[in-house]
Amino acid sequence: MKNRIKVERAEIDITQANLAAKIGVSRQSINAIEKGKYVPSAVLALKIARLFKKPVEDIFTLEDQD
Amino acid sequence: MKTSYLLPHKYKIVGWILFVIGLIVGCFLFFGEYETDALTINVLSIFNEGDIFGGKKGYFKIVENSIVDELVTLAIIFGGLLVGFTKEKVEDEFIYKLRNDSLVWAIIFNYMVLVFTILFVYDFTFFHVLVFNMFTPLMFFVIRFNFLRLKSTSYEE
Repeated sequence: MKNRIKVERAEIDITQANLAAKIGVSRQSINAIEKGKYVPSAVLALKIARLFKKPVEDIFTLEDQD
Repeated sequence: MKTSYLLPHKYKIVGWILFVIGLIVGCFLFFGEYETDALTINVLSIFNEGDIFGGKKGYFKIVENSIVDELVTLAIIFGGLLVGFTKEKVEDEFIYKLRNDSLVWAIIFNYMVLVFTILFVYDFTFFHVLVFNMFTPLMFFVIRFNFLRLKSTSYEE
């Protein structure tokens, strides 16, 4: 699964740490998700999407091998 | 995230203290060949089969024993459990996954090492392997978990 978190983050100019604090997860989680090393749960994906005020599909997209 | 059997973060420091003290005293005991008469008290032995350590066969007897090694063993076990199974400062699903992955890794790694020692370590030396094996699953787990956690903390882009 791909995601656009890094881009979205740049657009509203917040750091990984800020984003993590707003959602209530560790910065490691955001870092791992951005790098594609961790696929978040549906709950966490929805929380991230809500923070960027976008539908979850705009931020997370399936890849061929998923 | 709801995690049912993890203790609060504040106990982690207690765990580290017990774990480190236990390991240090444990090393001294190990290199001193387990011989000490310190803290010898009466303890309840529920079963003794009468063995090479000079115990007499019997059930539910009060015997004299130096409890230094028992205390060290318990310190390492409780310390290790507290270090491994208390919440992180920010506990979330990713940390939880790291912990689970580390546990699986530690158990597999531990048994691979054990299989290796079963094949290539013999006689009384294998007794040392058994002693170490009381603690190695927890130790491998703690090391692996903290390694993964620190690795994923590194560099923000």
